[in-house]
Amino acid sequence: MKKVKARNPKLIIPIIILAFLFLFPLLKPGIYYLSFGFILFTYIALACSWNIIGGYAGYLSFGHVAFFGIGAYTTALFLEHFGLSPFYTCLAGGILAAIVAGIFGYPCLRLKGAYFALATLCLALVMPVVASHLELTHTVVGIWMPLLPFSVFTSRAIFYEAMLALTLVIVFICRRIERSKFGLGLCSIREDEDTAQTLGVDTTRLKVAAFMLSAFLTGIVGGIYAYYRTYVAPPLVFDVFMSIIIVMMAILGGRQSWIGPVIGASILTIISEVTTTYLGIGMELSRIIYGLLLVIIIMFLPKGILPYIRWRRPPREKRSL
Amino acid sequence: MITGYEFGQAVVSGLFIGATYAVLSVGFSLTWGVTKVINLSHCVFALVGAYIAYWLLVLYGIDPLLSLLIVIPLLFLLGIAMHQFLIREIAKKTKDITSTSMILTFGIIVIVENLLTYFYKADPRLVTTSYTGRSLFLGSVALPITSLISFALAAVTIAAVYFFLHGTYTGKAVQAVWQEREGAMLSGIDINRVTAITYGLALATASIGGICMALMYSISPTADFTWLIFVFLVTIVGGLGSVIGVAVGGLAVGLVISLCSAFIPLSLVHLILFIMLIIMLLVRPRGLFRR
Repeated sequence: MKKVKARNPKLIIPIIILAFLFLFPLLKPGIYYLSFGFILFTYIALACSWNIIGGYAGYLSFGHVAFFGIGAYTTALFLEHFGLSPFYTCLAGGILAAIVAGIFGYPCLRLKGAYFALATLCLALVMPVVASHLELTHTVVGIWMPLLPFSVFTSRAIFYEAMLALTLVIVFICRRIERSKFGLGLCSIREDEDTAQTLGVDTTRLKVAAFMLSAFLTGIVGGIYAYYRTYVAPPLVFDVFMSIIIVMMAILGGRQSWIGPVIGASILTIISEVTTTYLGIGMELSRIIYGLLLVIIIMFLPKGILPYIRWRRPPREKRSL
Repeated sequence: MITGYEFGQAVVSGLFIGATYAVLSVGFSLTWGVTKVINLSHCVFALVGAYIAYWLLVLYGIDPLLSLLIVIPLLFLLGIAMHQFLIREIAKKTKDITSTSMILTFGIIVIVENLLTYFYKADPRLVTTSYTGRSLFLGSVALPITSLISFALAAVTIAAVYFFLHGTYTGKAVQAVWQEREGAMLSGIDINRVTAITYGLALATASIGGICMALMYSISPTADFTWLIFVFLVTIVGGLGSVIGVAVGGLAVGLVISLCSAFIPLSLVHLILFIMLIIMLLVRPRGLFRR
């Protein structure tokens, strides 16, 4: 009984925040705020999906933009050839991304540490080259998608709600994983892979499964994002920089828990938005401030932000994983 | 079909660009080995060196080769400062230095790239000296003088690093820290001093690489990312822990690129290169020349 009591007040605040976020479009905010919300949720969703392989299992993947782009292209092609809405076909994009992740991950997840990071970086660099040479993906021209048949405000609100819902689902999946045997297995891989293997954890299967799940979720996000942008092209959806940003967000927030990527993604997106939009000092100077903040945050909080928040809480009997 | 002349030209230009990749990579490999830091900002400092040389040439007409006398000490000091104020501080606070340093150095990239863009604008710049555009001829194969100079510069630098690491007391200390950090500490090596010198050396060699690049190609404030990818390639092919490996790796990557681009479009060359790298990682993840 004591546990329930202790948990309830904690639940109220998230519920209020969520209710506010879901009802936010009813307040008729400016279109800019809806777009900002969409981008924010996109990055939270991406960072959380990345965290399944990069955080829990400790395998830094710099190639997630490949899965993002695969999702984006799949939905764009489905829309072009069959007229199916990306809101349904994004699942197909996720499945295709997961298949690619499986094929790529099975051999490459044997690599450790920086070597895995490099292999995935290569994957991210190969994808735009492939996409810009295939006739199927319309080479470098890219694919245009029709707008939603609503006013700009309504369609932005639809995208906002869709991405918010998707982000919530992803966050909940991550939370479930953390508390599951699967998540425990992944953590054991992060802590000491050899020992885990000796103790009978099927590390290869777990790693590949985590990589595929991570890619699946990233692919879905990519599909929705492509529809929002209404245009896919190799430099846009296979931007290696985006890959790096996702990793930065998760590491900055703290990779041990689902809340870390959420914090990291929110902070970086807000900093980036505020410095470029509100300071009015030109692109370069605002980027310099962004970089400086990144350096300062990591200098003072090198383990990510999360451990410093957790540290203040009274210690629990059981360490949450 | 490719002619003998084209083949010769491809080999020569492959060796030239390969040597430059090797110089860019040697410092990266050093800092990775000695401190386990993946310095993403390595190439951005190469770019800084190149821009200083460009600036000295345009404003005061100083030849890039002479400006090395200014650039090398400057970047050496910058490397030491980077180690003392940034790398050493985060190394104290965290065990997971690899991923933390990646964020740190990524932040440095963002800062420096945008500083360069702010001062120089995003236009590509050319370092044009009195000997730019002239060539020597070996049979019918053209050897541009700028490329010859870069090649010589690269060879001298690699040789100097090799002799520093194998011939001097400090260099041997660097190797010792690389191989066995605690053991080196126990035998009385001042780790802090050694790693600081490693960073100085890394950035100094990077700046030489940057100037070689600037002599042969145009430079722009975001060129460093492309260079970084090649540096990764060379480091993986050569393997961590060997200057000779890096030199051979650089030449091999250069040769593959330029021979492939004689047959197929350049963007597909990159495709082949990355697929080769993935296979390479799977088959020999420690590089071809790991001791």
